[in-house]
Amino acid sequence: PTAPAYAAGGPPPQLFTPGLAGDNQLQQQQQQAQGGYYGQQPAYTQPQPATNLADQFSQLNVAGQKGLRLQTTNLLTSPPDPRELQQPPPEIILPPNATLTTSPFSNADPSYQRSTINAIPTTHALLNKSKLPLALVIAPYRSVKEGEEPVPLVTDTVIARCRRCRTYINPFVQFIDNGNRWRCCMCSMSNEIPQLFDWDQQRNQPGDRWARAELNYSVVEFVAPTEYMVRPPQPAVYVFLIDVSHAAIQSGMVATATRTLLENLDRIPNEDSRTKVSILAFDTSLYFFSIQPESTESTMLVVSDIDDVFLPKPNDLLVNLTESRAALEALLGKLNDMFVENHIIGSALGPALQAGFKLMSPIGGKIVALTASLPSVGAGALKSREDPKILGTAKESSLLQAASPFYKTFAIECSRSQVSVDMFLFSSSYQDVATLACLPHYTSGQTYFYPAFNASRSEDAIKFAHEFGGVLAMPIMLEAVMRVRASRGLRMSSFHGNFFVRSTDLLAMPAVPQDQGYVIEVQIEETVTSPFVVFQTAVLHTTCYGERRIRVVTSAVPTTTSLSEVFASADQIALATYFANKAVEKSLTHKLEDSRDALYSRMVEILTAYKSSMTAAGSGASAQLALCENMKMLPVLVLGLVKNVGIRQSAQIPPDLRAYAQALLTTLPSQSLIPYLYPSFYSLHSMPPECGTVGERGIIMPPPLPLTSERLERHGLYLIEDGQTMFLWVGRDAVPKLIMDVFNLPSYEVLRGGKSTLPLLDNPFSERVTAIVQKTREMRRGVYYPHLYIVKEDGEPPLRLWALSNLIQDRADVLPSYQQYINQLKDRVNGASY
Amino acid sequence: MMNFEDVEDRDGIRLSLNVWPSSRIEATRTVVPISALYTPLKHREDLPPVLYDPVACKPPCRAILNPYCQIDIRGKLWICPFCLQRNGFPPHYKDISNTNLPAELLPKYTTIEYTLSRPAQVPPIFLFVVDTCLDEPDLKALRDAIVVSLSLLPPFALVGLITYGTMTQVHEIGYPECNKSYVFRGGKEYSPKQIQEMLGLSGQNRAAPRPGQPAPTQAFGAARFLLPVQQVEFQLTGILESLSRDPWPVANDKRPLRCTGNAVSVAVGLLETTYPNTGARIMVFSGGPCTEGPGMVVNNELKEPIRSHHDIDRDSAKHFKRASKFYEALAKRVSTNGHVVDLFAGCLDQVGLLEMKSLPNSTNGVMVLSDAFTTSIFKQSFLRVFTKDEQGHLEMGFNATFDVQTTKELKVSGLIGHATSANKKSACVGETEIGIGQTSAWNINVITPRSSAAVYFEVVTPAGQPLQPGSRGLIQFVTHYQHSSGEMRLRVTTVARNFAEAGSPNIAASFDQEAAAVLMSRIAVFKAEIDDSPDVLRWLDRMLIRLCQKFADYRKEDPTSFSLADNFSIYPQFMFHLRRSQFLQVFNNSPDETAFYRHVMNEEDVNNSLIMIQPTLMSYTFDIPAQPVLLDSVSIKPDVILLLDTFFYILIFHGETIAQWRKAGYHEQEGYENFKELLEAPVADAQDLLAERQPIPRYIVCDQGGSQARFLLSKLNPSTTHMSTSMYGSAPGANSGQAIFTDDVSLQVFMEHLKRLAVGAQTN
Ligand SMILES: [Zn+2]
Ligand SMILES: [Zn+2]
Repeated sequence: PTAPAYAAGGPPPQLFTPGLAGDNQLQQQQQQAQGGYYGQQPAYTQPQPATNLADQFSQLNVAGQKGLRLQTTNLLTSPPDPRELQQPPPEIILPPNATLTTSPFSNADPSYQRSTINAIPTTHALLNKSKLPLALVIAPYRSVKEGEEPVPLVTDTVIARCRRCRTYINPFVQFIDNGNRWRCCMCSMSNEIPQLFDWDQQRNQPGDRWARAELNYSVVEFVAPTEYMVRPPQPAVYVFLIDVSHAAIQSGMVATATRTLLENLDRIPNEDSRTKVSILAFDTSLYFFSIQPESTESTMLVVSDIDDVFLPKPNDLLVNLTESRAALEALLGKLNDMFVENHIIGSALGPALQAGFKLMSPIGGKIVALTASLPSVGAGALKSREDPKILGTAKESSLLQAASPFYKTFAIECSRSQVSVDMFLFSSSYQDVATLACLPHYTSGQTYFYPAFNASRSEDAIKFAHEFGGVLAMPIMLEAVMRVRASRGLRMSSFHGNFFVRSTDLLAMPAVPQDQGYVIEVQIEETVTSPFVVFQTAVLHTTCYGERRIRVVTSAVPTTTSLSEVFASADQIALATYFANKAVEKSLTHKLEDSRDALYSRMVEILTAYKSSMTAAGSGASAQLALCENMKMLPVLVLGLVKNVGIRQSAQIPPDLRAYAQALLTTLPSQSLIPYLYPSFYSLHSMPPECGTVGERGIIMPPPLPLTSERLERHGLYLIEDGQTMFLWVGRDAVPKLIMDVFNLPSYEVLRGGKSTLPLLDNPFSERVTAIVQKTREMRRGVYYPHLYIVKEDGEPPLRLWALSNLIQDRADVLPSYQQYINQLKDRVNGASY
Repeated sequence: MMNFEDVEDRDGIRLSLNVWPSSRIEATRTVVPISALYTPLKHREDLPPVLYDPVACKPPCRAILNPYCQIDIRGKLWICPFCLQRNGFPPHYKDISNTNLPAELLPKYTTIEYTLSRPAQVPPIFLFVVDTCLDEPDLKALRDAIVVSLSLLPPFALVGLITYGTMTQVHEIGYPECNKSYVFRGGKEYSPKQIQEMLGLSGQNRAAPRPGQPAPTQAFGAARFLLPVQQVEFQLTGILESLSRDPWPVANDKRPLRCTGNAVSVAVGLLETTYPNTGARIMVFSGGPCTEGPGMVVNNELKEPIRSHHDIDRDSAKHFKRASKFYEALAKRVSTNGHVVDLFAGCLDQVGLLEMKSLPNSTNGVMVLSDAFTTSIFKQSFLRVFTKDEQGHLEMGFNATFDVQTTKELKVSGLIGHATSANKKSACVGETEIGIGQTSAWNINVITPRSSAAVYFEVVTPAGQPLQPGSRGLIQFVTHYQHSSGEMRLRVTTVARNFAEAGSPNIAASFDQEAAAVLMSRIAVFKAEIDDSPDVLRWLDRMLIRLCQKFADYRKEDPTSFSLADNFSIYPQFMFHLRRSQFLQVFNNSPDETAFYRHVMNEEDVNNSLIMIQPTLMSYTFDIPAQPVLLDSVSIKPDVILLLDTFFYILIFHGETIAQWRKAGYHEQEGYENFKELLEAPVADAQDLLAERQPIPRYIVCDQGGSQARFLLSKLNPSTTHMSTSMYGSAPGANSGQAIFTDDVSLQVFMEHLKRLAVGAQTN
């Protein structure tokens, strides 16, 4: 058999070449930017999106023997260029014939799985010398956007796995014995080829082995045979816990939530018409709704005995979405009205969770809890522990730890019964996000936070409705377990993300949302002798359409004995993702300060290691601060992390905001995490004319600017965004035409700052700005719908400071500017060697 | 000689003795205490409407002005016969004169009813507590009956609904958006405070209303659960019609989980919080035993049988004591609140009435025992609770207090009936305690024209004090209650009886043997509730013997010389039947039946009680008008139809020949009209009896030799048993009646023994 021919993968990659040219470009850009509003600018090539698989890997085999070349740069003289963040990681250069086929999809796209180092040191000692961490950054269930390659599906339930290490057959195995057996790429075991491996079951004729997806694709999904089931595939189950206390009703949360739910009933995964739904309202009591089959009405059952939660009925509380559609619609249509006069204060969230759990625990599924107050009664009741006096002190990290063991023990109970919890939090006052976020954390759910939610502000309602709608529509993976296997000598040693570690390396995930990231630390336990190693992530799950499947993500990385190669292959995006997880971990086990110190020390260690081993200065003093090109952005990303709300030194950050930021830091996939650390900053008034118009790959975005206020012009209009929030910065000297074109207002003076929605105006500039705002909201994976704030240069100080805090290369209070930071690092690196 | 029944018609009262012994020692010798069976709300057509408040004596006496008071027209004064204090008439009595007396001073109004000026604040409340662990037909019948009852309630009455099975649900019937109920876990015992909080009846956890806004009222508090029937009839009917069987699965070897105790306690808690001290009925419908939570009567394992009298006797009924204690505590709360619990059982087996009996017993609730809610016994008995008077008002008064006042020679020993002590330690309270004593006032939480209380007195005058000529004692009964129209009313009955000196024949002559039998029966049943029945029987025998010793004519040690005056003559017979009645002989009945029979016994007046003690038997045959016959096996004849009325069941018994003819269908043939008439006569009479009764008796039609005939035989005096060849020597064949298979002694044997013991002769 011959390998299948693949279509040519488009134009050769135009990799961004780091170096002086970049600096020049930046300088040019700066100079050009002086041109002002509508000024002429050179056309910037659009950065290559990392999602084009074919582009990245078409040369995989051609790259051949030669290793990566280390290019050293001086951080002191080469400022960060945000465009570098959009570049692919250092090339993975595998030895020839490492793959079975010439498929360009043999190795995993970094958006699914990437390693912090793309040339793995063969020994722990070598790794240690580099001071770089070895970790995998994975998002096995990232969403597939329109135009992207879907994950190929192997439907014949013929699944070849290594007898010894249980690795799934993949593009990196070898066929031996005339193709009758295969050798495992992890443990070298010789395995039999399954009987039907070469049989086309659909046509009932011999099949083409080489066409099998699992041999050509690094990311593949198998339909699992019954051996992979402990029970028939479960239907998707959603239990909605809706806080209807006074505060929740008054905030408009209930009205928005029920309306959104009503409008999205069709989007809830229900292809097989088996999906079950339950609505459970609560304040200090629980309000169940029973819907009899065929009925168009529901009956409310109030349970106020929350000390010992029970279900008021054995049936009709969890109902089939299709069969009970009419009654559900009627109920959602009037739920808010039912409680509109509710004056009860307080929340029995814990009991509501227990009730939801009881409802669904025989099946499993997703609990979506929407709550606007601190749980005050029953199991899991919490006390407000917000204390401004301890903010910014060593005690602050205690506020980031769970206040009650309930949320962890209950989470483990949930995990065992395949129940996942999503938290939507809306309180206008302290809600203890840190504690509540435990539930999503251990049950593979997610926490969504809408501080001081007020639906009468349409922006609040739209944001929540958009994100909630996205969660509802999301095709979730149910009853999942994830395990990562690797070549001999490597061991998964530590796990970060939302799941529960069931046994040493088995991650239990009752309902996996799309676009969550996980970080797994890898330990080199013994000398690796193979020329390349393989990492394989397998997620056994049930689709929300009732099919048992295994998603397998395999990536191969060469090994090396060269420290230079180790540095040259370091993936700064993966490294930053790793550091974000480690920083949060440290802030919880130690103090926030320790976390920041650790990040700093780690940077010093890496830089010192680099300097001593990769530069002429060796251990001597140097006027430079050297680091390889491929890691050039790492210091600024780490600075961004140190300045992130989740980690930043401050006595002003409410613990809820901090806890939420930490939840994001540990769950966002790299694609979303990087802007959260290093926001995007665009000059709109002076952007090139094609920006904001539709190009070959959709809306053309303006070139990102480095995050420094030096770039702010007094007559300018800027967009700063971190994936969670957008700021439209308006300079105080903005010309009336600009104000008119964008805001339909006569002058800067009448423009008001704050949460806002841009008007759609009939002029090209408005259209372009709106398009860029829109694109910003759409371009990343995940359901987040950032708020847009209009910030006037001379507007309200808190909002201004918030917006400016995103310009992380600036100095802010005690937090150093990038230049200061780099200089400090340099001094430490030099000092360390004296 | 006074006619007891005339007095009863006028004052609703029957006294054991109508001339009273004048000293304590003499009173003791009469054996039967001075006692009264009094029916406070007895119908009396000729009562004048008295629309003003009564005039009362000064505290602490508070006796009500009555025809036995001395009045001083000129001084505008009256002297209280009970405390001898002088009282001035109130200003509006200024025009009083010997020819212009208010009704309460007229001799014919020894009973009078005042309508007080201050009406009740809260309309009557009816809270239905409905079992849903029922078969569909049973549940439907129950639902339908309750729906019908809604139409019988005054429109302003408040109604509420609680359903229960595995759990208890309190329905928020006023909720407009959908059917809504509060659910309580059946297995749990909730404190009153918890119930209050869980129903949202307390104000905690509530946001303060924003300034300028009125506090929300409608959604808060009782108005959500208890609403005027005219307002919620439609919605409540809808809820009732949509009631379905308890949804929790029941295994084949299990009883359904039924949390009756929990449901009742929630009902009690709801009313206690919302409407304490007002007229309210908790109507509990139960289709089986409580198997879950507090008040559990039997485990839900079918292999565990429900307790019998034997189990209770042997102390092996494992839930009995705890359940009884639970319901007793609940009963105490209900009665304190002035509320009522009615128990309607619709079950072939027992539901635990014995354990629950304290609820209706202490509140005068109705107890109805039926085989199913589909039976007409249930339906009619239930709907008969809502009987209305001519003005269209329900024949029930609420939250009554019943006060007894005596002149100084007499003291109150106690009351036996469905009441609780109001703990009024007035000067009228005596030392001897009979029934609920140590008080001269009681609470009767619901009162109907049938409710009859037995009140016992003692004479406290020491012996040897000379009797003033014409001296008499007075008793005043004052019943204060909420009329179902919403008025507050006060019914006052004042009776006066002469004292007679020791040895006076007037005392014996004033003996009302029927009233005495009933009053003694109540004591016996009261004792039986506490003591073992053999002890009670011995006590009953002792009292009878002593009564005979005191009042019979005989020569010592000569039984043949024994004779009783007419007004004593049938008293021993009542005692004979009482001894073998279901009130004291429990082992042929289930504990629930015993509780039921005893409950009814404590409600009824003299005539009805006598029927219960000694059933009536009518005989119908050709050419002779129907006539009462002896309750004796001799009354059974082939050519007669018997109509037995035991109060609890009415039985038509066809003699052998009649039965044969009936089967042959003669009555449908021409020329046999007289037979047809004969067959119809007892049926018509039975219908008349059924029309009055509450609860509705079981109606049995049977033939001689049929299995149902045992209900007749068990009541007949076994003058002919399988043991005795004949009664009066050699009996004339078929006419000697039917032999009854029993070891019981016959009335004749009983009488022989009695005579011997009374005269002090040797017994063999
Ligand atoms: Zn293997
Ligand atoms: Zn007086």
